[in-house]
Amino acid sequence: MNTLLQTRPALAGKRILIGKPGLDGHDIGAKIVALTLRNAGAEVIYTGLRRSPLQIAQVAVDEGVDAVGLSILSGSHKELVADVMTQLRELKAADIKVFVGGTIPAEDQLHLRELGVAAIFTADMPLTDVVRILGERLA
Amino acid sequence: MLSQLANASALELAQRPLRAVTSNPARRIGITGAPGAGKSTLLGHLALLRRAKGRLGVLAVDPSSPKTGGAILGDRVRMDELDGASELYIRSLGSRNTSDGLADNLPEMLDAMDDFGFAEVMLETVGVGQVEYAARAQVDTLVLVLLPDSGDTVQAMKAGIMEMADIFVVNKADLSGAQKMAADIQRIAALNHHDPGSWVPPVLLAAASQPASILALSEAIDRHQAWLGTSNRQEILHEQRARYRLRRLLEMRIAQVIAQHDAAFFAAPLAEQLLLTLEMLGRVSVRP
Repeated sequence: MNTLLQTRPALAGKRILIGKPGLDGHDIGAKIVALTLRNAGAEVIYTGLRRSPLQIAQVAVDEGVDAVGLSILSGSHKELVADVMTQLRELKAADIKVFVGGTIPAEDQLHLRELGVAAIFTADMPLTDVVRILGERLA
Repeated sequence: MLSQLANASALELAQRPLRAVTSNPARRIGITGAPGAGKSTLLGHLALLRRAKGRLGVLAVDPSSPKTGGAILGDRVRMDELDGASELYIRSLGSRNTSDGLADNLPEMLDAMDDFGFAEVMLETVGVGQVEYAARAQVDTLVLVLLPDSGDTVQAMKAGIMEMADIFVVNKADLSGAQKMAADIQRIAALNHHDPGSWVPPVLLAAASQPASILALSEAIDRHQAWLGTSNRQEILHEQRARYRLRRLLEMRIAQVIAQHDAAFFAAPLAEQLLLTLEMLGRVSVRP
């Protein structure tokens, strides 16, 4: 519908929340991913730093997002991700997909998947892959 | 619910059942101004102060990319940083195909906020320039946020958004030039509104670090709301809202039809293009 638009971007019409739970204050990665998702056509809402899992889940519900991306570099990904998933379930929003980005050791990835995480993006992953995988998961 | 409304096409909107007039509409406060003027921060502080007056909701618009349709909706970052903000309902909107300061289907979303039972809705427009004043008709009280040193008296005299505000705020008042800027606007605003009984927009100085200035702004909003009750402004606004709604619906539909034309279409004489487009516009049934 946009006049300058030639082809429909991969994430057109999707609303995605990028959240920074916990205490780590590094959000360059979160911002780069946010910009990448914007360029892929998504409406990206950014929470800012140091939000609690409850805040992030509540914002996701209020904003009516399709997915929540959690950027975690603190090492507390297991606890924080589990908390966000629990809060989303309590707010009856388990249909919102959760993906995780950051420094996630290989041995923790299976655990996060078992919690129900839709995708895990590590720092070495090309951004084009992030967009492609998200497009598939949110289709 | 709001997502469905935001994504509805012109035809879908036209097919919605007529909405009964709400007996208890939310007060609508608009915050507009240039990018970086401090609208979000000011709105956040105001909202925390005003939520004692009843259930308060915030709609905040940020620009959508004309290239991809994507958007970074970052208004709530400023608001979420405030203590107590987690109890506020904030909804971030991309401007999408709208370029007048608002967002697609915003009139319908404001109506939905009435239906949800909000007592007050604060609307933050995208960062605007001189002529994106569509928020004027959508809100009851329009606050224009300006920065010190954002121009001389001639800028303040120019037509457009400077004529539309109910309240002027010179924000970041701790910066130099704020006093002079406020005095300049005051003089010009007084000249623009001299009918007896008309509202003379106050010019306030504000800074997020000065709670008293936020309180003064909130009180000015209350005074304007009280004045509205004594004037016929609400009737005029309601008529303007109805006109805007119809116009936006048609504009959306026209854009949709024109987007369907292929490149060859534009080789035809303009009169033919026009007739064919009008024909396509008329070819659809919008009866509910």
